[in-house]
Amino acid sequence: MSKGITVAGLGHEFRARGGAVPALEGIDLDIAPGEFVTLAGPSGCGKTTLLRLVAGFAAPTSGTITVGDVPVAGPGPDRGVVFQQPTLYPWLDVRRNVALGPKLRGVGKAQRLATAGRYLELVGLSDAADRRPYELSGGMQQRAQIARVLAGDPEVVLMDEPYGALDALTRERLQNELLSLWRASGKTILFITHSVDEAVFLGSRVLVMSPRPGRIVFDEFVPFSADADLAPEEIRALPKFAEVAGRVREAISH
Amino acid sequence: MSSTVLEPPRGVRRWVGLALSLVVLLATWSVVAAADLVEPHYLTPSPLQVWDAFIRANSHHAVGGGIDRVVRGEENYFLWEHLVVSLRRIGLGLLFGVLVGVPLGLLMGSVRWVGDLVGPYVDFLRSLPPLAYIGFLVAWFGIYDTSKVWLLFLAAFPPITLATINGVRGVRQDQLNAARSLGASGLQLTTAVTLPATLPDILSGLRVAVGFAWTTVVAAELVNGLPGIGGLAYLSGTQNKIALSVACILVIGLTAIALDAVIRTIEKLVVPWRGKA
Ligand SMILES: Nc1ncnc2c1ncn2[C@@H]1O[C@H](COP(=O)(O)OP(=O)(O)OP(=O)(O)O)[C@@H](O)[C@H]1O
Ligand SMILES: [Mg+2]
Repeated sequence: MSKGITVAGLGHEFRARGGAVPALEGIDLDIAPGEFVTLAGPSGCGKTTLLRLVAGFAAPTSGTITVGDVPVAGPGPDRGVVFQQPTLYPWLDVRRNVALGPKLRGVGKAQRLATAGRYLELVGLSDAADRRPYELSGGMQQRAQIARVLAGDPEVVLMDEPYGALDALTRERLQNELLSLWRASGKTILFITHSVDEAVFLGSRVLVMSPRPGRIVFDEFVPFSADADLAPEEIRALPKFAEVAGRVREAISH
Repeated sequence: MSSTVLEPPRGVRRWVGLALSLVVLLATWSVVAAADLVEPHYLTPSPLQVWDAFIRANSHHAVGGGIDRVVRGEENYFLWEHLVVSLRRIGLGLLFGVLVGVPLGLLMGSVRWVGDLVGPYVDFLRSLPPLAYIGFLVAWFGIYDTSKVWLLFLAAFPPITLATINGVRGVRQDQLNAARSLGASGLQLTTAVTLPATLPDILSGLRVAVGFAWTTVVAAELVNGLPGIGGLAYLSGTQNKIALSVACILVIGLTAIALDAVIRTIEKLVVPWRGKA
């Protein structure tokens, strides 16, 4: 089962040397279970801050966040986090990294390694299972991280620019992969990106934030990604795709 | 490129250089010893005499001086047994140092107020030369091994603790966050993330502690140090068995180098990711 996310009157300030830095202001947001929400916005507008607050890594200075009717009070296994920089553990091989979620939940060794194997296959990393993370390329690390989050079976997946550092081809391949994963699993996903095309391609709903302090200035449902009849290449070629992308681009630059 | 292919690899060149310098050193030493610059001549033993002393100390041999008696090594122990006794002492001291230092460092590094409270005491202990409190330890624990193991424990655990604290404070916040988002509880966080992430620092601390403990044990054996390699080095010097004393000194130095090599090998095996992630 996937869970929804409700954000109400959310604001957040950082205390920095030069005084308080308001990063988020007056965010109200209702994400339904199973939605794939992509979030774009200029650099420094507070996207990561929002994601970390939903993840429970910090407490907001004002407002509330609820995930599946439970107020967020800290990190939890119901919300998996894919970090911008892969945070795999170098003391574990890739398979054991992916098996960590089940291990922490007390799943037996044989079963959790089998689970890990399944998710590694899903992201096309079966061959690299016995290697250490630092022996993988950036793209492979990112896929391993996604496999680890999925093996933890969270209701909500939070992804912070996971493909930001990848070349265009790899990036497109992983986008297609993620799309079919989402179509198959129906998980709730909040996905941050700098790329307008990525946002429109993946999201069933696209959000845009204003420059700091971040507020949501664009919120639109997009029909492409949820349509299982549309293959990835077809989506990217649709005239409507370019049109939506144009509007998102405009919202960002305002 | 082609010239580098023809030259021997760097490792080989290094060993050849080392061997050559050793030959030169031994030759110079032999010449100086033979010249008898210092009187009496036993004060300047030749390399060969040192080697003889080394072999005698590792075997049953006649007492000499016309007395018809065979003794075992030196002071009833072979030289390698003296060495093993000293190694056992630092082994025990380091073992307790790790058993106390690592958990203490984890606690002090993770819980701010514990670190603030206990930190100054660990710092104080570290800044003391261990020999300053050997007399006190002898008074408490007697002149035998217990007081020496205590001494080495007290010498070893501050560097291990401080390195562990350093490591804990350097753990990337997102590595902890990632584990919590996978469902790690407080204790699981320590065993699954904090401890392994701190391992490189713990081993660095251990390396410092080993060097420190080794110099300390050799010095500590000046008092009732037999059997013990430091004790033997000291005693043989005071009895004018200079060749034996030099043999002990060489063994002590080479052992220190070997210990360091062992720790570095352990580091390579246990934390292969060091510097890579
Ligand atoms: N720990 C912090 N202390 C002080 N200020 C911070 C901290 N983290 C973020 N900020 C500030 O809050 C604002 C929002 O940061 P955030 O990381 O959320 O931006 P972002 O939208 O994710 O940017 P990017 O797209 O570049 O990743 C920025 O102005 C940043 O300087
Ligand atoms: Mg960011």
